[in-house]
Amino acid sequence: MKPARQIPARTVYIVLTCGAALALAGCNDGSGDPKTEIGANPTLPAVQQFLWPPMHLARVVGWKQDEKPSVPNDLKIQPLATGLEHPRSLYVLPNGDVLVVESKAPPAPSPKRPKDIVMAWVESWVTSGGSDGPSNRITLLRDSNGDGVPEVRSVFLDHLNSPFGVALVGNDLYVANTDAIVRYPYTPGDTKITSPGTTLTPLPGGPIDHHWTKSLVASRDGSLLYVGVGSNSNITENGIEAEKNRADILEVDRATGRFRVFASGLRNPNGLSFEPQSGALWAVVNERDELGPDLVPDYLTSVKEGGFYGWPYSYFGQHVDPRVKPERPDLVAKAIVPDYALSSHVAPLGLAFYDGTGLPETYRGGAFVGEHGSWNRQVLNGYKVVFVPFSNGKPSGIAQDIVTGFLNNDDQARGRPVGLAIDKSGALLIADDVGNTVWRVTASDQASTASR
Amino acid sequence: MKTAMNPMRPALTDEPIPPPTGPFEALRSTAQIAGHPIHPMLVPIPIVCFIGALVTDIAYAATAEMMWTDISAWLLLVGLVFGVLAAIAGLTDFIGNRLIRNQSPAWPHMIGNLVVLVLAFFNVLVHSRDAWTSVMPTGLILSIVTVLILPITGWLGWAMVYRHGVGVVR
Repeated sequence: MKPARQIPARTVYIVLTCGAALALAGCNDGSGDPKTEIGANPTLPAVQQFLWPPMHLARVVGWKQDEKPSVPNDLKIQPLATGLEHPRSLYVLPNGDVLVVESKAPPAPSPKRPKDIVMAWVESWVTSGGSDGPSNRITLLRDSNGDGVPEVRSVFLDHLNSPFGVALVGNDLYVANTDAIVRYPYTPGDTKITSPGTTLTPLPGGPIDHHWTKSLVASRDGSLLYVGVGSNSNITENGIEAEKNRADILEVDRATGRFRVFASGLRNPNGLSFEPQSGALWAVVNERDELGPDLVPDYLTSVKEGGFYGWPYSYFGQHVDPRVKPERPDLVAKAIVPDYALSSHVAPLGLAFYDGTGLPETYRGGAFVGEHGSWNRQVLNGYKVVFVPFSNGKPSGIAQDIVTGFLNNDDQARGRPVGLAIDKSGALLIADDVGNTVWRVTASDQASTASR
Repeated sequence: MKTAMNPMRPALTDEPIPPPTGPFEALRSTAQIAGHPIHPMLVPIPIVCFIGALVTDIAYAATAEMMWTDISAWLLLVGLVFGVLAAIAGLTDFIGNRLIRNQSPAWPHMIGNLVVLVLAFFNVLVHSRDAWTSVMPTGLILSIVTVLILPITGWLGWAMVYRHGVGVVR
């Protein structure tokens, strides 16, 4: 039996050596400079697949007294409201009242495989206190004199179902819950809505509801609503049948509630907004994970009617994802290359075009993007608000870091930016769902002096 | 009258049971419950799970239906957990009795099954990938190699019990 003893022993050695090498490769993710992946022509590395994907989650520590994010010299930042419960998006009403959408993730579906249990556990220690206190409501903030201190703070709408998007058309206020768009009657000056609301249209919701935030915007003439519906998986691992009407932007007829797919292949589209100069619909999109620390860049893009943007079959145009079967070369061929890469895993969830006048000249017409931050790479990426300059309705320069300091020096999360809005005075508002704060960015005294 | 009794049933007598003298008693298991070795009770579970995972991997490769790779992932995890428990019981017997260790199939049986567990461990990780590459091609290859090793180590294990009498009490 001697030979029989030696052969398996060698096999063990080879397997262990390969295993150790692979495990090490997984620990040092070898990521490149995230800045090379910003703009219209990102450098895309080859696909990497892992035994254990690179994971680095910023542990939540919250903001200590008097701590706040950092901004450039021409800006200053103050909290508009604190002590919120998982504020995720913002909407400014015509009278200047700010709606803060506080939202909890819908209940997790039953695990389909062991990985679901592991990932749920991993995610459980990086979310904010949103799961504890009352959430799934909209809080109204009224700061009539624009001094950054609201005189009124009231629960505007309560008992919602994981809400995210809000849009007002005339006196109809639409709230995009995770499973439906609901219409409420709104009278200017209201600080509370008690009406139960009317469902305009159901949206793809549970029981899986992987990407649950439904971004909402009304067309300029108010006849149509656009709603972002994220995919129900990273890359079809919950089955293609779970993806019906998902990874899409739906166009909803406001009069009837009937909807159609306006654009598809957008893995998790958020921040739906109209670019002020061109009037085109834009969105920020969270791309797929687990192909490497530098794949796939999340992006900011104009959304063309009938356009297909790749998910799940390909990314950034015609780069085929090896994980999707059956393949669809016909769809890959027509996949649109997005306009502007934001770098991999930054998780953009907020977008606001700057059409105000309160901030310095350089920000006018450009786009602010709220980057919630990465988990799928060793070197954290995102966790900040960036500014993308625009000219003639297109991005015209490299994204600049505008609001940073959401991470402390130990890579712990004091906050994480999500939704953005521009208030009536032209200040930039940032929903911070981990710091449970709404931040307000205004021109600094230095900037106001210079512009005079 | 012993001769008058059913030969299939051992006679009840008042005679004392003879003290252990043969080789069988000397090969007794250390990890055992009332003389029943634990290792052979556990080994069917990983064997069935790993064979099942190969079947569901093949089903996934043929259909791209996610249900099959989800089942593979569960089977591999359960197989790995019970495989480790079986290994602990088996190693206890192996270390606990020099005479078991000296049986010629003991070493290749142990090493082969450790290879199976290492392969299954990596296969669990591969199956935690999303969609197609959770199986194709690495997962399927690992499942095939695992199942090819099992009859060899199984044969050696059965030889230990049925030919050498490891763990057998008379």
